[in-house]
Amino acid sequence: MDNKAIVKFCKEVGCCDICCLRYLGLKNPATYENYKEYIHKYTESGVEVENNSEEQQITSNSVDNINGNTDVNGCDDEPPKKKKKISICVSCFGILQEENWSECFNMVKETLEKKRYECSTFACALSAPIATLLRDKAIILHLSDAFKDYKEDTLTPLKEAWKWTFGVKLAAQIGMTLDSGAISPLLITLNMEYPDEPQELEILKQLSPSLFQERQKQRRKFTVEFTRPSVEQAMDKISLEQLKGVDKWNKIPSVDIEAKCVSAMCVHAPSYLGGRYIKLSRELPQTPWLIKGKRMMESSVQEIIFEPIAKVFDLTPEDVEHRLKFMSAGREDVDVRCLGDGRPFAIEITDPRRDLTGDELKRVCEEISKGGQVIVQKLMHVSRNELSELKKGEETKCKTYEALCIKLGNENPEPNILNGKTPVAVTEEDIRRINEYRNTEAEDEAKIVVKQRTPIRVLHRRPLLTRTRRIYDVVARRVPDYPQLFTLTIRTEAGTYVKEWCHGEFGRTTPSLRDAAGFRADILALDVTAVLLDWPRPQ
Amino acid sequence: MKTMDFNILDSIPDLDNLKTFTERYFSKRYLINVDGIKNNDMMIMFHSNRIALLSLAPSHSFFSKNENYKINFNVGKIDRLNNSVKGKSKKGGQLLSPKSVICKIEFSDESVFEVPCCMKGTLVEVNEELVQNPLLLKNMPDSDGFIAIMLASIAISEATKSELLTHEEYIKCIDCSVNKE
Repeated sequence: MDNKAIVKFCKEVGCCDICCLRYLGLKNPATYENYKEYIHKYTESGVEVENNSEEQQITSNSVDNINGNTDVNGCDDEPPKKKKKISICVSCFGILQEENWSECFNMVKETLEKKRYECSTFACALSAPIATLLRDKAIILHLSDAFKDYKEDTLTPLKEAWKWTFGVKLAAQIGMTLDSGAISPLLITLNMEYPDEPQELEILKQLSPSLFQERQKQRRKFTVEFTRPSVEQAMDKISLEQLKGVDKWNKIPSVDIEAKCVSAMCVHAPSYLGGRYIKLSRELPQTPWLIKGKRMMESSVQEIIFEPIAKVFDLTPEDVEHRLKFMSAGREDVDVRCLGDGRPFAIEITDPRRDLTGDELKRVCEEISKGGQVIVQKLMHVSRNELSELKKGEETKCKTYEALCIKLGNENPEPNILNGKTPVAVTEEDIRRINEYRNTEAEDEAKIVVKQRTPIRVLHRRPLLTRTRRIYDVVARRVPDYPQLFTLTIRTEAGTYVKEWCHGEFGRTTPSLRDAAGFRADILALDVTAVLLDWPRPQ
Repeated sequence: MKTMDFNILDSIPDLDNLKTFTERYFSKRYLINVDGIKNNDMMIMFHSNRIALLSLAPSHSFFSKNENYKINFNVGKIDRLNNSVKGKSKKGGQLLSPKSVICKIEFSDESVFEVPCCMKGTLVEVNEELVQNPLLLKNMPDSDGFIAIMLASIAISEATKSELLTHEEYIKCIDCSVNKE
C-alpha cells in the first residue's frame, strides 16, 4: 500500500487528518495521539494538498496555498484576517476535527459539574451519526477502485480513532484518567447528530430498495426508517457502480454542516449493598402495597430500609423510585415475622455518585432499626456477581418456620355434626402422631412430600399449578396454659406454602397437617425463624 | 437485641374471637330463588382478591333433602372436569354466564338439582373431590365442600358483589320467607 498516495487521495476527496490515518488502517493509539506529526510524514513535505481541511494560520510568513491567495499580514488599515472557514471532513462530519471539540468538552464538563462523581477514572463512548457508515463505505469503494491492493477491511473504525484522539484530550480537560469500559465504572457517552442525515440516507432507498421501501410502507411497525443494523446490512452489498449511479454521488459529496453534539451523558455503573433484615411487625408488607394507586398499608420493609439511604444521598422521592431497587431471597406475608438472622436482601443503586463510608453504613442500619419494625444489623458493599446468590437462596434453600396452631374437632365426623370449627384439647397422642408422621421412605431426608395447588390468595395473579414440595421435618409441642393450641417447628423446601399446609386450604394442599395430626387445624400465627443462606459475603 | 427473645407464643390472639379460614378471607354473598325456583338459593364467597368460590346457601332445598346423591360435573354439552386454564389470566377456561350450569346434583330418587354459577366469568377449577366425597357439600359447604372457583374482571366482580345479597340482607330475606310460611 502506498500510504502517501492514499493520504493524498483522501485529502483530495475532503478528509480530515485523523480520517486519513483511519483509511490507512493505522491502529496504534499513540499514532493518533500525535496525529499531526504522523500526517506530516505521509504528506509531500512542504506542499499543502488541495482542499486541505486543516485550519490555516495566516501568519506574516505567508504560505503559498492552493487557493492562490497570498496573504501578507502587513497593511495596518486592512481588517484582521479571520480564520479561514474549515472544510468539514467528508468522512466524519467534523467529529474528528479538533476545532469542533471545545463545545463537546463544555457539555461534558457541565454534566460532570452537575453530578459531582467521586470517581477519578472514566471511559468514553461515541454515538455517531448513521450516515458515517455510508460515507465510510463510499470512500472505501473509491479507494479500492483507485488502489488495486486496498483492502476493504483496512479502515480503522471511527469510534476507536475518536477514543484515541478526542478521548485523550477530554481526559486532560476534565482532569480524569481515561480507561476502557471494562475497567472504569464511569461512562461518558457523547451523542453526535448530523443534521443532513435524513436527506443523505434517502439514497439508500434507491441503492437497497428491498430493505428500505418495505420499512417505509410499514410506517406503523417501523417508526424509524433507518436503523444502524439495517444500514450496515445495506452497506455490505453496495458496489461502486451502483453508488456512482446516484445523483451527486459520482464523487464524495461535500458536507455543508458539521455533526453537532446533542448530549453528553455520564452514567456510573450501579453499586450494590447487601444485608439481612429482621421483620418484627405483623402489619408490614415487604414492598409498598398499592391497589389502583391507593395505599393499602402505611409503610413497607423496603421503604423503611430505603429512607435513611435516600437521606444520605439526598435523593428525591422520584430518585428513589427510579434509582433504588430492592431485591431479596424470597419474601414473607404481611402478618409473618422474620426472625433469626433475618432474610437476605440487596439494594441496587443506579448511577451512584459515590460509595457510602463504613460509618454511614452503620448509621443507616441504626436509622432503619430504631423504628422497631425492621432490624438491619449490618449493611455492606457487595459486587454484582454476588446477586445471583440471592436468587439461588430464593429458589433452592430451605427455610425454617415456627407456627402457632389450634386444634379444631376430630376426624371422621359423623354426618350432620358441625365439625372442623370447635376447638378441642391437644393430647400427647396427637403430638406423637404429628412428630412421627411421614409419607416418604425412611431414608428420605424429607418426611413429607406434599402437592399444593396455587393458593386461592394468589390465584388471581399466578397460574393454576400443582407444585410438589418437600417438608423435611415437623416437630409439634403443646402450649402450656392453652390446651387447644400447639406449636410446630417446620423445615421446608423453598417455595412451600406453610399456611396452606397447616389449614389444608379446602383440600387443595394434600396431604396437609390434618393427615399428620388426625384432626383439622388452623394456623394462628407464623414466624420465619431461619433463611439458610450465606449472605452477605464480605468481598 | 437477640431474636432468641422473640417467640411465637408472643402472638397468641384473642381466642374468643377467632375467625375461621373462610371468615378470614372471604365475603359471602347470596342469590335466592334463582331462575324462579323456590329455595334454589346460592352462595358465592368472594376472596379479597376477587376470586369467587361457588357453593349452596344454607337455605337451599338441598340441605333438607335426605336422599343419597352424586355430584355430576358433566352437564350435557360440557364436562366441567375437562376445564383447563393456562397462565395468569386463566386462558382457555370455560366461559360462564349467570345461567351456566356448573354441575348437577343427582339424587337416588332420580330428581336432579342443576347448580347455576350465578355470575359471568371464567371457570378456574371445580372441586373434583366432590366426585369421590359428595358429603363434603352437605357437611362443609363453605369450606372443603365448595363447588367451583371462578375468576372475573375487577369490574364484573365488584358489580356482582354489590348486586348480590350481603349476609345481613340474606338473613332478613330468609326470616321473612320463613315467617310468611
